[in-house]
Amino acid sequence: MPITFQKLTHEYNAGTPFSYLALDHIDLNLQEGKITAIIGETGSGKSTLVQHLNALLLPTEGSLKILDREISASEKPKHLKSLRKHVGLVFQFPEYQLFEETIAKDIAFGPKNFGASEEEALQRAKDVITLVGLDESYLERSPFELSGGQKRRVAIAGILAMDPDILVLDEPAAGLDPQGAKEMMELFVRLHTEFHKTIFIVTHDMEHVLRYCDEVVVMDHGHVKTTCSVSSFFQDPSILKEMGIHPPAVVSLRESLREVGFEIDASILTMEQLAQAVAKEVGHHE
Amino acid sequence: MNNIALGRYLPLDSCIHRLDPRAKIIALILMMVAIFLPAGWIGYALLGCAVLCLTVLAKLKMNFLWRSMKPMMFMLVFLLIINLFMLQNGTILFEIGSFPIYSDAVFQTLYITVRLMLMIILTTVLTATTKPLDLTLGIEHLLSPFKVIHLPAHEIAMMISIALRFIPTLIEETQRIMKAQASRGVDMEEGKLKEKIMSILSLIVPLFVSAFQHADDLANAMEARGYVPDRTRTRYKQLHMHIGDYVIFAICFLILGGLLVFLWI
Ligand SMILES: Nc1ncnc2c1ncn2[C@@H]1O[C@H](COP(=O)(O)OP(=O)(O)O)[C@@H](O)[C@H]1O
Ligand SMILES: [Mg+2]
Repeated sequence: MPITFQKLTHEYNAGTPFSYLALDHIDLNLQEGKITAIIGETGSGKSTLVQHLNALLLPTEGSLKILDREISASEKPKHLKSLRKHVGLVFQFPEYQLFEETIAKDIAFGPKNFGASEEEALQRAKDVITLVGLDESYLERSPFELSGGQKRRVAIAGILAMDPDILVLDEPAAGLDPQGAKEMMELFVRLHTEFHKTIFIVTHDMEHVLRYCDEVVVMDHGHVKTTCSVSSFFQDPSILKEMGIHPPAVVSLRESLREVGFEIDASILTMEQLAQAVAKEVGHHE
Repeated sequence: MNNIALGRYLPLDSCIHRLDPRAKIIALILMMVAIFLPAGWIGYALLGCAVLCLTVLAKLKMNFLWRSMKPMMFMLVFLLIINLFMLQNGTILFEIGSFPIYSDAVFQTLYITVRLMLMIILTTVLTATTKPLDLTLGIEHLLSPFKVIHLPAHEIAMMISIALRFIPTLIEETQRIMKAQASRGVDMEEGKLKEKIMSILSLIVPLFVSAFQHADDLANAMEARGYVPDRTRTRYKQLHMHIGDYVIFAICFLILGGLLVFLWI
């Protein structure tokens, strides 16, 4: 079942001198079972958008259909907790939400809130800690003595332990080293392929979008600018140029080659294919 | 939480906004003294008018003032209840069941309510029309004569301005942590006592961690730029008193003096 935004509007501090229209009548269909990237400039409303997915923010106008729920501005929604169990949201810099004495307890906090028993929750903690790339010896340590990147893994584990069907991540790789960011993205791909999670990732990294995602939503000043598949998004770099987004290396190399007269298919999206196409072109002219 | 009005600066352009912060602080103190004189209802009516004129001049909306007073409502109700039980003098106005309500209790509460309201409005006018930094600059200037008795005026002002600077940051952080924990199934409203305690802990601990982090970062940043509290420093912003500032003094002295004379007679 798709996730449907209908004329969804969010105004911060509505009715005060500080009001700000962060989302302006958004109409959007998001598919389940995919990895969707949400991109756009800082302040374009990405975080505001994704916080509607588990009803942390409620629309000030319009409505949102997600799973079997409808959340609309006209009626006050109830039992949001049941929605939050199924839609796990990892905030930007989630390391700030850790508070327990041990990592095990912190990871078990979410499942326990959603009704799991102590043993079940601790078992979940054991399961997910290895998933995020830390080993079980970490479980009894304090979350406050970890490095920033490790803290973030623990925070993500805390959401994974709730076993949500839909996982939403707000800039999960921000501030990580390239290797850490890559591992992070690979974790999400694994969650998608092995555990069939629907995944939404807010990101600024076009390489990640190209390599790991299926669909892309482009936000611009509170509007959805485009939404399409990743392959068609990178076929036509004019949108990228127009929005001042730096394209991935493959795409910019492909376009430079095309500009100087190479006859290369615009649908090529990997270095291998590009290399082959160039070799073929050169072969023709020899 | 975002619509907290108490203590918030409103960037409008009014003659009150343009006054010298020192003048405004002194005027506030004078008016506070006036409010605490047992001036009777006529006196309060007079003060009320003055305060009303002030808010109009400052271009503040009633709505804003009302929101800044809201947090006090709880206290006032509490006070009324205590007074109803403690003050059993005067005439009986009416009875609820068999519990008599005395006129003194009601009047006493009304008295305090009016005083508190006036005080809150005045303070709100000060904070809404003065940038926090100007306010602390004003405080520092007003405290500097006390340096002779080794009062650390500059340090006090610096502490106040840092505290003011971090209030919005901490509010923002609180909201963010609340949302993050809500995503993990924390429900601040429902739940048993134990769950409630856990949900408060899940908010307080990260908040303290980040507050200490901010404090540490700020201290390092200040030290890295060579900040030494007791060095004399020059200022980019210089305060100057203008005619308007003296007019405000004059008005405040008139009101205070008037009330004193009125009481004397
Ligand atoms: N709590 C808030 N109160 C008021 N304005 C906000 C708040 N959160 C975000 N905004 C504003 O809404 C706009 C969109 O913010 P956000 O969704 O965080 O953008 P992004 O995640 O794309 O950077 C920004 O201009 C921001 O200033
Ligand atoms: Mg954001």
